[in-house]
Amino acid sequence: MLEIITIEENQSQLLQISGEIDASNSVELDEAMQKAFRSGHKHILVDGEKLEYISSAGLGVFMSYLEDFKEENISFKIYGLNARVFEVFKILGLDQLIPIYPDKTAATSA
Amino acid sequence: MLKILKINPGKLSVLLAILVWLALLFVDLVRVFGIINELESGIRDEFTWVLEILFFVCVYGFYNYSINKGNQINFLGLIWRAASTGIFATGFSLLVTLFYSSLGDSKLASEPFLKNFFYHINFALTSVFLISATLLWKNLILYQRTKRVVKQWQAYEFALLIAMFFIFFNQNTLDYSFLFGMVLLIGFGIVLSINLKWIPYLTFKEKWKSLLFLAIIIFSCAYLFTQVLSFSDRSEFQVNLTDNLFLVALFGFIFTYALFGFLVTLFNLPTSSVFEQKLTEAISFQRLSQSIQPDENEEKVLDILMDSCMSASFSDGAWLELSKNSTQTDQVLQERFLDHEVQTEISALIEQNKTAQKWAEDGPLEQLEPLNLRIDHPKFESALLVPLVLNKAAIGRMVLLKEVRDGFNKEMISIISTFVRQATISVENHRLLNQAIRNERYQEELKIAQRVQKALLPTELAHNDKFNICAFSNTADEVGGDYYDTYQLDDDRFVLIIGDVSGKGTSAAFHMAQMKGIFQSLIQLNLSPSEFMIRANTALSSCLERNHFITASIFVINTTKQTICHARAGHVPTLFFNQSNNKSEYLGIDGLGLGILRNKQYANHVEEKTLTYREGDVLVLFTDGIVEAKNKRGQEFGYERIRSLLEVYHQLDPKEIQKKIIDSLHDFVEGDGLIDDDYSIMVAKFQS
Repeated sequence: MLEIITIEENQSQLLQISGEIDASNSVELDEAMQKAFRSGHKHILVDGEKLEYISSAGLGVFMSYLEDFKEENISFKIYGLNARVFEVFKILGLDQLIPIYPDKTAATSA
Repeated sequence: MLKILKINPGKLSVLLAILVWLALLFVDLVRVFGIINELESGIRDEFTWVLEILFFVCVYGFYNYSINKGNQINFLGLIWRAASTGIFATGFSLLVTLFYSSLGDSKLASEPFLKNFFYHINFALTSVFLISATLLWKNLILYQRTKRVVKQWQAYEFALLIAMFFIFFNQNTLDYSFLFGMVLLIGFGIVLSINLKWIPYLTFKEKWKSLLFLAIIIFSCAYLFTQVLSFSDRSEFQVNLTDNLFLVALFGFIFTYALFGFLVTLFNLPTSSVFEQKLTEAISFQRLSQSIQPDENEEKVLDILMDSCMSASFSDGAWLELSKNSTQTDQVLQERFLDHEVQTEISALIEQNKTAQKWAEDGPLEQLEPLNLRIDHPKFESALLVPLVLNKAAIGRMVLLKEVRDGFNKEMISIISTFVRQATISVENHRLLNQAIRNERYQEELKIAQRVQKALLPTELAHNDKFNICAFSNTADEVGGDYYDTYQLDDDRFVLIIGDVSGKGTSAAFHMAQMKGIFQSLIQLNLSPSEFMIRANTALSSCLERNHFITASIFVINTTKQTICHARAGHVPTLFFNQSNNKSEYLGIDGLGLGILRNKQYANHVEEKTLTYREGDVLVLFTDGIVEAKNKRGQEFGYERIRSLLEVYHQLDPKEIQKKIIDSLHDFVEGDGLIDDDYSIMVAKFQS
C-alpha cells in the first residue's frame, strides 16, 4: 500500500508519499527517487504527511541518495512527517543528515 | 492315487478319444465280419451310439482344455486353427474319394472292411473339425461378454448335450422330431452368431486374412456336409454315425457363424481405416498424457504431439516453432517432411495472409482455436495453424500442411485441439514438477543457511558472578539480519553488542555475518564504544550494499567500577531499570547508523556515555522487530509497553523477564507467525 505522486513545482520536484514503505515496495520509492534525481531539478522535496510507516528498507533508499545529492548540489528536504515516522528517522540518526521540517512553508522558506 | 490325478487332462482326453474311436471301429468291423460270414454278431446298435457319444465328449473335453489354456485371445489364430482342421478333414476326404476313383472296378474298391475303415476316419475328422470349430467360435462369441450372452451360450451347450442323446429317442431315422430338433438348434445357432464384436479390432490386413480363413471354413463345412449326406444313402455302413442331430446342428452353427463373420468382415473392410484411426488417436492421447515423467524433456512431448497430429490429419508436412519471449524471434524446433527452405517460404506466405494476420492480432489468449488456411504454394495448398497455449500464454505454434486444398475437416481440427491441450498440460505439469524439485533444493539450501546462521549467534554469553545475562533471537524467514554477541575483555570487563541489518532475509543474513566478523576482530583492539563504532562504520562502508545499513548498540560493562560505557549507532534505544528510583527509562544518546555516512564525517555523529549501575539494575537490549510488531488492528507493540513490563517484572531473573516480554509480545500480536520481522532481545541483570 504505497502511492507516490511526483509533482513539478517552482523548479523543484515534489514527491507526495502516502501509505507504508516496507521491504516489498521500497523498489517503487527507489524508482521515484531515481527519476527525481535524474530530472535535473536542484530542489527535491518529499511530502511525508500521509506516510504512515517506513521500514529500514525504505530508510535505506533515502540514505543511498544522500551522497549523490551532495555531489550534484541538490537540496533534499522532507516535511510533514508524523511523530512516529519522525521517531524512526531520529533513532537512526537520519535527521542529522536530512533536513526535516514540520510543514511545507517551513521547508520552502528554509 | 496322486499320480493319476497329476495326469495332463489334455493328453488323457486325447488318449481316451483314440481308444473310444478304436473301439468304435472294432465294433463295426466285427459287425461287418458277422454279415459277410452270415453270423449274428449280437452287438446292438445302442452300443455303438454310446461309444459315439463318449467320443464326442472326449474330443470336446480336449478342445475345451487346449483352447482355454492359452488365455490371450488372438482372433486370427483361432480362425486359422478352425480353418486348418477343416482343410485337413476335407483334404483327407478328397484323397479317399480320389483313391476310390483310381481303383475303378477292382476288387479292392468293394472291400467292405477298408470302406468301413475310411468311413470311420472321415467321421472322426469331421467330428473333430466341427467340435473344435464350435469351441473356437465360443471364444469369439464370448469376446466382450455380457451376462446375457454367457447364459445363451450355456443354454446352447446344454441343448447340444441333449442332441447327443437324441439318437436313443428317434433310433437314427429322419423323422419330424429330428427335423424339429434340427430347426430349433440351427435357429439357436443363428441367434448366437450375431455376436461378432471381435471383427472391428482386426486391422485391415488381418481382415483380409480372416476373410480367407472364413472362406476355407465355409467351403470345408459345405463339402463335409454334402459328403455326410451321401453317406446316409449307402447301405454298406451298418450303423450310420454321421446322421446325428448333434453333428448336423454343429454343421449349421459353424456354417452360419462363418458366413456371418465373412459378410460382416467384408462390409467392415471400407470403414476399418476409420476404426484404426480412432484407435491410433486413443493411443496417441494416452501417450501424450503419460509423457509426464520428470526425466523426460519437453521436446519428447512435442515430438509425440507432432506425430499424433500428423497422423490424425493425414498431413503431408508440418513444423513446430517455439517463441522466445525475450527476443521475439521464433525458434523452429521440429520439421517434418519438409526442408528449411520450404518452411521459410510457407512461413512468409502465412505472414502475408490477411486472415492469419487478423487471427494473430486478435491475441493468442482468446484465440485458442486452430486456424484453417488456404495457401498459394506450389507443393502445399492448405495449412492449419495451431497455437500452443501454456498457462494462458502462447508458447509457440504448430503448422500442419497438406497437398490438397481444404484438407482439414472439423473432426481433425477438434482432435488436434484435444491433442494440443493434452500436450500443453503435460508440458505444464513437467515444468511444475521440475520447479517443485528445484524449490525443494532451495529449501534444503536455506535450511543449511539457517543452521549456519544459528551457529553465528553465541550459545554461551560471557559474564561473571556480578551480573546475569540471557538472550533470544527469532527470524521472520529462514535466515535473518539480527545479531547479538558478548566478549570478555578481562576479569571484570565485558562487552555486549546488539545489531540489526536493514531489510531481512538472505541479504540481511550475509551482512549480519560480516558484522559478526567485524565485531570479533575490532573488539580485541580494546576500543572505546565510540571508537568501535567509527572503525566498524569504516569497515562496513566498503562492503555494505548502497542502500543497506546496520544499526548497533554496544556496551562495555566494568563490574569492579560498576560502570556501563556505551555508544549507539542508529539502533533502537536500550532500556535501563534503575533500582534506586524504581523506574525504567530509555538511554538517551545520539548516534548515526553504520554505513549511512561512508566517510570521515561519521565520527561527528557518534556519542559515548558512561553511567553507573547498582545491584538490582536491569539492562534490556532489543531490536526494532519487537517495537514495530503490529497486532491485527495495526497498533505497534511500542516502547512504552516494554518499559512498563520491565517496571513490573524487574525483580525476576533475566530469563524470566525475557520470557515475560516475549510472551506479552505474542499475546499482543496473537500468534508468533504474525511478526513479519526479525526480533531479538538480551537482558542483563546486575548483582552484588
